Amino acid sequence: MAARHFGRAILPVAIVAAFLGLNASADGEPEIDPESEQEQTLFRGMPDAEGRLEVFGFCASCHSIDLVLQQGLSRSVWEDVLVEMVRDQEMAPLRPDVRVKVLDYLEEYYGPDRKARKENSG
Amino acid sequence: MDFKQRRRFLKGAGFAALGAAAGGAFRLDRWLPNGFLATAEAAEGTPIAGKDGLTVLNDRPLNAETPAHLLDDEITPVARHFIRNNGIVPTDMNPDTWTLRIDGLVERPLTLSIEELRRRFEVVTYRLVIECGGNGRAGFEPPARGNQWTHGAVGCSEWTGVRLADVLKAAGYKETAIYTAHEGADLHLSGTPGKLPISRGVPLKKAMDPYNLIAFEMNGGPLHPMNGAPLRLVVPGWPGSCSQKWLTRIWLRDVVHDGPKMTGSSYRVPPHPVAPGESVPEEDMRIIHAMPVKSLITSPRSGTALDSSELEVAGHAWAGDTDVARVDVSIDYGATWQAAELARPHNPHAWQRFSANVRFPGPGYYQVWARATDGNGISQPFTPAWNPKGYLNNALHQVSVRVA
Repeated sequence: MAARHFGRAILPVAIVAAFLGLNASADGEPEIDPESEQEQTLFRGMPDAEGRLEVFGFCASCHSIDLVLQQGLSRSVWEDVLVEMVRDQEMAPLRPDVRVKVLDYLEEYYGPDRKARKENSG
Repeated sequence: MDFKQRRRFLKGAGFAALGAAAGGAFRLDRWLPNGFLATAEAAEGTPIAGKDGLTVLNDRPLNAETPAHLLDDEITPVARHFIRNNGIVPTDMNPDTWTLRIDGLVERPLTLSIEELRRRFEVVTYRLVIECGGNGRAGFEPPARGNQWTHGAVGCSEWTGVRLADVLKAAGYKETAIYTAHEGADLHLSGTPGKLPISRGVPLKKAMDPYNLIAFEMNGGPLHPMNGAPLRLVVPGWPGSCSQKWLTRIWLRDVVHDGPKMTGSSYRVPPHPVAPGESVPEEDMRIIHAMPVKSLITSPRSGTALDSSELEVAGHAWAGDTDVARVDVSIDYGATWQAAELARPHNPHAWQRFSANVRFPGPGYYQVWARATDGNGISQPFTPAWNPKGYLNNALHQVSVRVA
């Protein structure tokens, strides 16, 4: 499991380690499991999948990720949200491939059916 | 490790690489020192100083509502008044150095300290309902954009201050003025200097309502920092966003104010009913004025188990710019209704206490519903009219009880 996620998970894990006051070793080797409770605390239960880091990083630059995670919107409404964030809220436009990744993730887990919420409560 | 040490540790960790790995700059410089810690703190369940029992929806900016059963008091305690923030809370809330500027289309622009406000104008105290325009948003299907407030973004505290109308008259508003524009000291979430997170206003006619206050006391004490200390507007009956917190300026305009969260889809609804999920062009959206009639059952708490077949159901009802004329209660999904006792408002724009003794026909699971009707004969609907941003959900409130 750890190997599958290693490439993407190493940096967030380093953050978690730093927050918790744990010592990440010099080469960045994570000392906590990427699926651990600590990581779930940082990502607020966001399903670990392609796009999670981008959604977290870009959205939580200005506001809590909880604002995103409590919502369940269609892809087109999430697109409206991104347009408005750039137009009104000083967000830098996303690179097209990143934008797709962000929208894919939001559509999958934070659509009107609120799949992520159900997974977490189930 | 204390916070400062943590921050140093985080700053030193080289996070630019993280943003780069994800395809661009995350602006982690902003995120890490405060936001990251704020998120982690909330996750640990850190209480909000001076608040009691609120549910946090979002901690940056802080948005928190009060569970219905904790809103049972006639006068909402400071500790139980909801928090709706749009920006970064100001750090300087010193009442001794605070000033309010009144300008724009006025004959005599004014700069007033809180002490001068007290000295120059009549100081009055009213119980006033403030309700977030998005209160009840969580009840829309499909879900609507924004913080998913359930029922508790409402409160009726006792506010002390001077009448907005008196101050505007003293400044001598010009005949061309049609709209107010409010500014506060909070900062935009992006940290952009000079950018306002929110600046709303109301038509001059509403501004002259004698129950709008420029308030400096809440329940006889100082304002809570998260409720706008040391000075705020209280514009009851309209979306809470009209009641600018950390108030620094009111200017008068000859056009409908176009500050942040006045335009686009903010605090606006479609001009006609739309199907759930329907897309509405922003230019068609209309600014919300008075909030609709609504009630909240504050006792019993939903989920209560009863030994007795009798129960007193109680709560509050309110209705934008008018009074509530009646409240009815049902225990059978609206098949039959019983009139509740309804108190007169303490003053206009205060909520009204209702209570009803209901008798359950036997054991079982019941939903208790309350439905208020305003002075114009308009009642709460069963289902809210869907709108893109999820405003104005005044559907009747329901609590469940189990009778043994």
